[in-house]
Amino acid sequence: MNILSNFQYHAPKTKAEVLELLADIGDRSKMLAGGTDLIIMLKEKMIETENIINIGDVEELAGIKFTDEGVEIGACTKIADIENSTELVKDYNALVHAAGELGSYQVRTMATLGGNISHSSPAGETPTPLAALNASVVIESKRGTRVVKAEDFILGNRKNVLEKDEMLTKFVIPAPAANSATVYGYIGLRNAMEIDAVNMAVNVELEADKKTVKSVKLVMGSVSPKPIVSEAVPALLVGKELNEDLVEKIGEAAMSEAKPISDIRASAEYRKDVVGALARRLTKEAYELAMEA
Amino acid sequence: MKQIITLNINNQNYDVVVTPMDLLVDVIRKTVGLTGTKKGCGQGDCGACTVLIDGKPELSCIKLAVASVGKKITTIEGIANEDGTLHPIQDAFLDHGAVQCGFCTPGMILSAKALVDRNPNPTQKEIKTAISGNTCRCTGYINIIEAIESYANSVAEKEAK
Repeated sequence: MNILSNFQYHAPKTKAEVLELLADIGDRSKMLAGGTDLIIMLKEKMIETENIINIGDVEELAGIKFTDEGVEIGACTKIADIENSTELVKDYNALVHAAGELGSYQVRTMATLGGNISHSSPAGETPTPLAALNASVVIESKRGTRVVKAEDFILGNRKNVLEKDEMLTKFVIPAPAANSATVYGYIGLRNAMEIDAVNMAVNVELEADKKTVKSVKLVMGSVSPKPIVSEAVPALLVGKELNEDLVEKIGEAAMSEAKPISDIRASAEYRKDVVGALARRLTKEAYELAMEA
Repeated sequence: MKQIITLNINNQNYDVVVTPMDLLVDVIRKTVGLTGTKKGCGQGDCGACTVLIDGKPELSCIKLAVASVGKKITTIEGIANEDGTLHPIQDAFLDHGAVQCGFCTPGMILSAKALVDRNPNPTQKEIKTAISGNTCRCTGYINIIEAIESYANSVAEKEAK
């Protein structure tokens, strides 16, 4: 009668209880946060599990907290709470923008930031801005705590660094550097309820002269099993002032690093072109914003 | 595996027997018998199953009933006035011819109500964004957007007074 295969349901109320459960049954459990990916995968029989651990009601895992160093966002913070955060918009607009482009409003009120990266879809909206903003991912288990960079969290299509007894508990995003700006952009088939063909986030930091590029981090999503942090773009741009000639070269460099596939959403050829267009557009946008920062 | 849980739906507590696998939409429709909530795609795409959970629109076809314990669930049956007259947003949908077959209407109305609750002065773009997860295959959305605009205007006017 049930469309879902049998599982046992666990609803811990504290992080300590979750870690205890994971140490015990983590190897035969799935974590439920918002469920917008998990329940669909269970319905479609893409996965089966003996246990569901619902972490959606663990209050200490949710929330946006500003610190002296930047901001901490709990793993179970809803995407809609990021989208609607008037405090995050100023310094972390790239993440707020990406959050607002995920699914539909209903999906965003259910889905969580931790869930979006833990699902580790190559087309996820938030891993690219998190990486561009130099976010760290805090991972905990009964054995202890470790921290990885956002760009190192996803290993491949639906694969990430989490061990069976571990969970993602929060994101730590540093305050933006002086004279810097980060922007996000994407191309998809529609404006809503689509899965990105390509998404990208670019963080440009300028020297005190507000012209010379001190650092640049260009991260592209949906063009490889995991987000790609460009190496070629910083090599071209650091120490220079942006000009039209460089903008063209940045587009070509990003295209040369993208490794897209053809699928139902876009052809590999089209995706490469989009990478070039987004790289040119977003780098220019971030550079101009950084000049005014 | 069966257990009794209490769900608060439209301010009334229902003790229902469920398994952990039961989806909220099925419990609302089959066990409780409130069939205003529709089941469309079953994958969280079409929005017909939208209900409000603690005032926020969620998709009951991809939500476990057991994960809804302790929360205030509002279905389309719960938004009319106590005397049985319609909620102003329901009136607005009728006045603007925003209903044809009616299958998307409960979800559409709940998404729209949640929007105006959090943002009494939505732009047309914000309205479109708020209902982008509610698929209508009859009306072409124009009358629906007009209905929501008119309801939002009436709420804004009331607040201004």
